[in-house]
Amino acid sequence: MAKTILTVDDSASMRQMIRMTLAGAGYEVTEAIDGTQGLATARGKAFDMVLTDLNMPGMDGVSMIKEIRKLSTYTGVPIVLLTTESDAEKKAQAKTAGATGWITKPFQPEQLLSVTKKVLGQ
Amino acid sequence: MSQQGSKMSKRNDGAALEVLTLRLDGHLFALEAGHVREILDLGPVTEVPSAAPFVNGLINVRGKVVPLADLRLKFGMEKTSATIDTRVIVIEIDLAGDQTTIGLLADKVFEVTEIVPAEIEETPRIGMIWRQEYISCVGKRGDDFIIVLDIAAIFASALRDRKGDTRSKRNAA
Amino acid sequence: MKAADPKEIFQQEAQDLLVQLEQALLDLEHAPADGALIDTAFRALHTIKGSGSMFGFEAVAAFTHHVETAFDKVRQGAIAPNRELIMITLHARDHMRQLIENPEAADSSAGQAILAELQRIMEAGAAPVAATPAGPASYRVRIAFPRDVMATGTNPLLLLDELRGLGRATVAALTDDVPTLDVIDPTACHVGWEVMLSTAQPPTAIEDVFLFVRDEMTLEIEPIRDTTPETPLGEILSQRGDVTSQAVEAALHEQKRVGELLVEAGAVSPDKVNAALAEQQHLRRDGAPKPSANSSVRVPAERLGELMDQVGELVIAQSRLRQIATVSADQQVKSVAEEIERLVLELRDTTMSIRMVPIGALFGRFRRVVHDLSRDLGKEVALTMEGEETELDKTVIEQLNDPLVHLIRNAIDHGLEDPAGRAAAGKPQLGHIKLAARHAGMEVLISIQDDGRGMNRERIRARAEERGLLAKGAAVSDGELLQMIFQPGFSTAAQVTSLSGRGVGMDVVKRTIEGLRGAIDLQSTPGHGSEVTLRLPLTLAIIDGLLVRVGNGRYVLPLGAVEECVELSAQEDARSRGRSFLNIRGDLVPYLRLRELFACQTPADPYQKVVIVSSGDLKVGLVVDQVIGDHQTVIKSLSKLHADVEMLSGATILGDGAVALILDIPHLVEFGQVREENQRAAG
Repeated sequence: MAKTILTVDDSASMRQMIRMTLAGAGYEVTEAIDGTQGLATARGKAFDMVLTDLNMPGMDGVSMIKEIRKLSTYTGVPIVLLTTESDAEKKAQAKTAGATGWITKPFQPEQLLSVTKKVLGQ
Repeated sequence: MSQQGSKMSKRNDGAALEVLTLRLDGHLFALEAGHVREILDLGPVTEVPSAAPFVNGLINVRGKVVPLADLRLKFGMEKTSATIDTRVIVIEIDLAGDQTTIGLLADKVFEVTEIVPAEIEETPRIGMIWRQEYISCVGKRGDDFIIVLDIAAIFASALRDRKGDTRSKRNAA
Repeated sequence: MKAADPKEIFQQEAQDLLVQLEQALLDLEHAPADGALIDTAFRALHTIKGSGSMFGFEAVAAFTHHVETAFDKVRQGAIAPNRELIMITLHARDHMRQLIENPEAADSSAGQAILAELQRIMEAGAAPVAATPAGPASYRVRIAFPRDVMATGTNPLLLLDELRGLGRATVAALTDDVPTLDVIDPTACHVGWEVMLSTAQPPTAIEDVFLFVRDEMTLEIEPIRDTTPETPLGEILSQRGDVTSQAVEAALHEQKRVGELLVEAGAVSPDKVNAALAEQQHLRRDGAPKPSANSSVRVPAERLGELMDQVGELVIAQSRLRQIATVSADQQVKSVAEEIERLVLELRDTTMSIRMVPIGALFGRFRRVVHDLSRDLGKEVALTMEGEETELDKTVIEQLNDPLVHLIRNAIDHGLEDPAGRAAAGKPQLGHIKLAARHAGMEVLISIQDDGRGMNRERIRARAEERGLLAKGAAVSDGELLQMIFQPGFSTAAQVTSLSGRGVGMDVVKRTIEGLRGAIDLQSTPGHGSEVTLRLPLTLAIIDGLLVRVGNGRYVLPLGAVEECVELSAQEDARSRGRSFLNIRGDLVPYLRLRELFACQTPADPYQKVVIVSSGDLKVGLVVDQVIGDHQTVIKSLSKLHADVEMLSGATILGDGAVALILDIPHLVEFGQVREENQRAAG
């Protein structure tokens, strides 16, 4: 059974790159364009992992993570942030909110895959 | 009745033939002495299930497990019970490439003797009730015929028959 | 005793070195910076060169000298061991082997060509690579997570797996803080760990594993410097600072194990003892010398054979002694006989184990086969091996080489699809071949599995009908259809590739396996792959047997195949020859009346016994008149006159001199199952 990943990012090109990288490696990818949609989608289905940007219009990454962690189905599920260098403080915030790990932008597809493997196993 | 011409005896190199003479169901047979290893009394025999009837026993010869053959069954004779004269002749022959030790039942064992070329006759075509391939040659001594067995041929054919049997058994199953 | 020929000794030792060299080269392809591998390769070359000239093998010494010079440069870091270099060195190794085994037949111009190519590659690639220092370092890694670490999606077990990926690791879990079931919070992490890790990677690689949780956890990385494989446990504990040396002294004065004592005295917690034990274990394996080095002895095979025969005779004689002692009134005789029985049993077991060789040696050879085939056929193949420590009789292993090579070739050539085919099937480019070996009851199972296209039933059927092996439209089971590939002259490959031969391989494979009294099972799922399993009996010349009586004859069943003995109740017995089943704790086990099978004329014993035997997963009950007892059985093979009786696997001599037959369990089990199916079909 393929592992399912929820990707939340307001940039279409970023979403496309992530989808191509992860789907090519056998993961099943579902996309959301912002925090609100991301939370709604997470409520509807129990994903194996959530990958999210920090800076998004409407509900931002940190708030979304906080809300997702309140869902019992997401206790223990890895949530990985996509963050830029200058977001060091946001990163700390996100950790407090309950993120598992992070990937710094810009990143190579291999880095995305290796972090995904790290938090999902196999 | 066999259509082959009278078979030349297999031994016609002019040398005398050293044989061990024995009796099976009243008939006088002989084996080439070169094959004989020893002669034993008959001891306990273990029956081998599904073996060919003429070699369906096993005996212990000094720690070695040796098949026991009853040639009487090969020649269509009656099987009789053992008497005090019954012996087991332990021979060694080449069987399909392996040196194999086999025990042969005999009603009585006589002696090791020489058959000189003058005494050797062609295997008669008529009057022989046994398969010619089993017989090496026939010696005549006085009024008696001594039938010298080709023991290697007897067992080689037994092995062939066995292979044919199992193949047909498998195909029938 | 014949004096050993020094030339032969060199040849044998050189063979070992060539194997080491090949394995090192193959490993080097995946880990070009590994200094330890480069060293191994260099040392092998150096030794062969040196000994070669000493024992008169001038040609190989001269040839190897050049290869050694090249590898010296690699060792110094002047050139990296790239794929080309490794390939040419493998070729050089093959040439060296020729020069050792059959110097006259070796082609010197081929040798020159290899050296010239080697020279060219050496000159071409000169990029220096910093080889990581030879030999891994060992670290103590202490890990403690905050209680809520798992709530944010961190899985400690995954992190431990990542650590294991860095090198050889021994993990000790620290469970002292785990609360009792009534208060435990299952989502909290109460367990800590200590990992002894031997890795060529620097400590920063260890830190990187814990990248995401570094700030919240306790992570201590300490090189293990002051303990060695010989360090006693108490000292390890004291070196680690877990106990005082006085406490250790005090504990050692008593008879119990020092770890237990220290815990009892409250001087140290059980967790710390476990962790220290783990370290001791880890170090032991770290420093353990390779088995081939100085802990083994070469013995000519015939001497081993003589030893086996003599032990066999001893076993028979001892069994006669046992009979005599049983009926003797002399206590001294009885006691000595018992002593001798114990010693003979031990001697028997030790002698048997000498002949047993782990199959890993054989599997190791196949790495080269797969490597070369993968390259020749343009298919990417990964080879995994399981159960390399499974032991088999030496003579059996030698005979398995050719059949296994053929099966592997087949799997790669015909089983695995080419890159285009794999892409079309949605499979990753890397094909997988798995070699596995394990013991199962009285058998050894060796399997070759591939994740290729599987066996095409239609093609096999068409071919079988074409060759007259199968009547058109005749009904056969799937298993029987697959087995058709073993018929001589059968080959469904559209083009017969030169690598796999004209289908002459498979029937020879089957004959070889049957010659070892084994069988071949085939399993295949179209589109997913196939698995070929070889089932071989553990044909040890002396086995533990169960002696039974059927009619007037006595028979031996290999004890390893015997599960239990039950009585056949009178009502079962009285039943007609219909469906004979026994209900053993819910399992329906078919049974065979051996009296019928062996056509016994004598009257049956009133209470028949059933011996339940198994072969693989199948069982059958064998109904006998009497179960006599256990018997050390020296297996004597049956002559060609009886070799075809499938129910029998040999004969043996009992203590009273009579001959008993040894029953072949797999055949009886199969026979029982087949008869059972026929009866069921007949309704």
